[in-house]
Amino acid sequence: MEGEKLNTFIRLLQRVRKQPSQTFDLGLIVKELGSRVEVGEVFEEIKRTVNIERIVYDETIFDEDTIDKIVDTFQKNKWVFLEIKKDIGSFLLNQLKHLANHNFLQLIDYQGKDIFDMKMPENSRLVIFAERDFIENKISYPHFYRLFGPTLSLK
Amino acid sequence: MPNPETIRFKSQEELKEEEIERKIKERGREGEILGGIVFEEEKVVDPETKEEKTKRYIYIGNPYEERPIITKLETDASREEIEAIKREIIPMRESFEILEAMARTYKHRQPLLIEGSTAIGKTYLADKFTELLYGRGVKLLDFYCSGQTDVSELMAKWVPKVETEDEKKKWNEFLELAETQVKLSQIAQEVEQAERLSQEQKLALIHTRLQELAKSAGLSEKNQWRFQYGAVPKAMGLIRNSDGSFSFNEQKGMGFTLHIEEVGLAEPQVINALLKLRGKRGQLAEEIQIWENGGRKVKAGPKFWVFFSTNPPEEYLARNEVDPALARGVVFIRMGELSEESLRLAADYYFSYKLGEKPKEKPEGCILDIYNHPEIGREIAKVIAAFHNDLNKELKKGEKGRQQRIPLTLDDMARVADALIDTQVRNKETGLLDLTESLKKLIHFYYFDRLADQDLKETMKTNLNELLEGVTGKIEFEGKVLTRKEIFDILVERASITEEEKKRLEQEEIERKRRELEQAKHDAEDAIMSALQNPNIPKEIKERLREIKLE
Repeated sequence: MEGEKLNTFIRLLQRVRKQPSQTFDLGLIVKELGSRVEVGEVFEEIKRTVNIERIVYDETIFDEDTIDKIVDTFQKNKWVFLEIKKDIGSFLLNQLKHLANHNFLQLIDYQGKDIFDMKMPENSRLVIFAERDFIENKISYPHFYRLFGPTLSLK
Repeated sequence: MPNPETIRFKSQEELKEEEIERKIKERGREGEILGGIVFEEEKVVDPETKEEKTKRYIYIGNPYEERPIITKLETDASREEIEAIKREIIPMRESFEILEAMARTYKHRQPLLIEGSTAIGKTYLADKFTELLYGRGVKLLDFYCSGQTDVSELMAKWVPKVETEDEKKKWNEFLELAETQVKLSQIAQEVEQAERLSQEQKLALIHTRLQELAKSAGLSEKNQWRFQYGAVPKAMGLIRNSDGSFSFNEQKGMGFTLHIEEVGLAEPQVINALLKLRGKRGQLAEEIQIWENGGRKVKAGPKFWVFFSTNPPEEYLARNEVDPALARGVVFIRMGELSEESLRLAADYYFSYKLGEKPKEKPEGCILDIYNHPEIGREIAKVIAAFHNDLNKELKKGEKGRQQRIPLTLDDMARVADALIDTQVRNKETGLLDLTESLKKLIHFYYFDRLADQDLKETMKTNLNELLEGVTGKIEFEGKVLTRKEIFDILVERASITEEEKKRLEQEEIERKRRELEQAKHDAEDAIMSALQNPNIPKEIKERLREIKLE
């Protein structure tokens, strides 16, 4: 794995705040077809630099639980490493878009509030890991790439 | 002298209108837009208490228009807040077209639908419009549609109160079945058609059906259920509390702004549900009936407003135009592509760092404080705007064999601009900032690595190199035809000179001139000496030459 590229990727996520909204970006790591890089290896490499927790979004987890885990990780001021292994449901997609556009989670009737707003902490970020083939053929939302700032392609 | 019979005195109202129009159309010394949004305070007498109050208003109009339509709206924001929000809006023609449409439709309680490319800034301007109405940092209610959006997310649903993880899992699995969704909509239909039943009876019917549903999901028949409103009724009855939090009252709420994004991706049943929002005379409905709750009505508060947005069909695969029924029920504006002029203006704003606060101290990783050098920013803006435009054209053709679409947004430029502040590469030969390499590196992260089509990636890399260093990318600069890299190097070198170096160079220049003068003096003395020794020169002239004093 190209360590220097990964370091720049993390640095861009840590530092860059887009003008004029001053929002941080979500990051995308794409495993290209034929790449031998393992997801665990990438996660461990990032973990050396930042405090990060891994969430696997697959058939065994529901959107609500994924959101709960993201909220919980943000409350601990940690980064989220979200490995996407199934098409993104509407509920999660909504929150990813909220995070990408406003750095906020906005949930209706959540934790006893009519509108629950949670700002992504200054020290937290969200990184999504997915395989190129999966993004292209399994993710039904056609503007998936638009959710992200820096993209790291792993060959 | 004008004929006194034709002189017309303007009313106070007319004079005020003219003053506001002048402010809306105000431009700076270099022709830049300063108007578009105008803040005014007015003293008004409360008809009930007879007390005089100061009310705040904003006027919004398109400054690019010769005779702009100007809309006056009440605002909670202060003058300072309005000025700060204005500074965060790139004054592109398209931005004001959108803001003007928002203001006009908001005032008349009409739903607005804007179809326009991603780069045009619909989401950002909806946020800014909300801030213009309510103050800095106030966020609207946002709902994003996709092909998987369910009507219940927008309208309402019943959720079982499950106690254990096992029950939660069972229920969620059950909910994901298409059959369940059909059963749920059947319950709502059954209630809708049960006209003779009272509301209490309808609720009882719903509970019976839900318990049957719980049983088929493997949950206890005695399960408790919780009713949950979706984004639409919530926005209709929201109350903004003084601490910024929200509460909800389905009958007495003030209502709030709801932005439903990417409505073009929604399935027909979602569009059908949204049609409930159509009211009389093109306005928003004053109330909607929620069948999932026995047909109870939710009233739309006076500040409830809905803004729909979507991208053009060509930006989505296998998507048609906006649903005609929805298009008929809203004010529908179809925007064109962002013009090249606007793209250049946006790039100029980003790379001249006009939109936010500049770092007070040079951050780590910053070799040259480019944010303090607009002359460099302007040259970078030209390159990025050209590259962005070039890639956008390629992407519009569609990438080879790919399902995903990558419409470029202005955010991509903003990211490169911000990253360029402290992600800089040093030129090993000169020790100065290597602007060309720094840009290439950032474009890689923000543009290239998203591309799946390797051929396109290679083509764009070649195009970028040609633009920066090739013959075709050359432009005229200070009377010479140079590559962009050469121009960047010149500008970086000039900007890299420190104050001390500047003083040293000035001192060297003074010294050089002193030496030149000294040399000239010696040359003159030699010439006089030589003339005095020349026998052919007349005596009178020699005497004159002796009188010359060189200082």
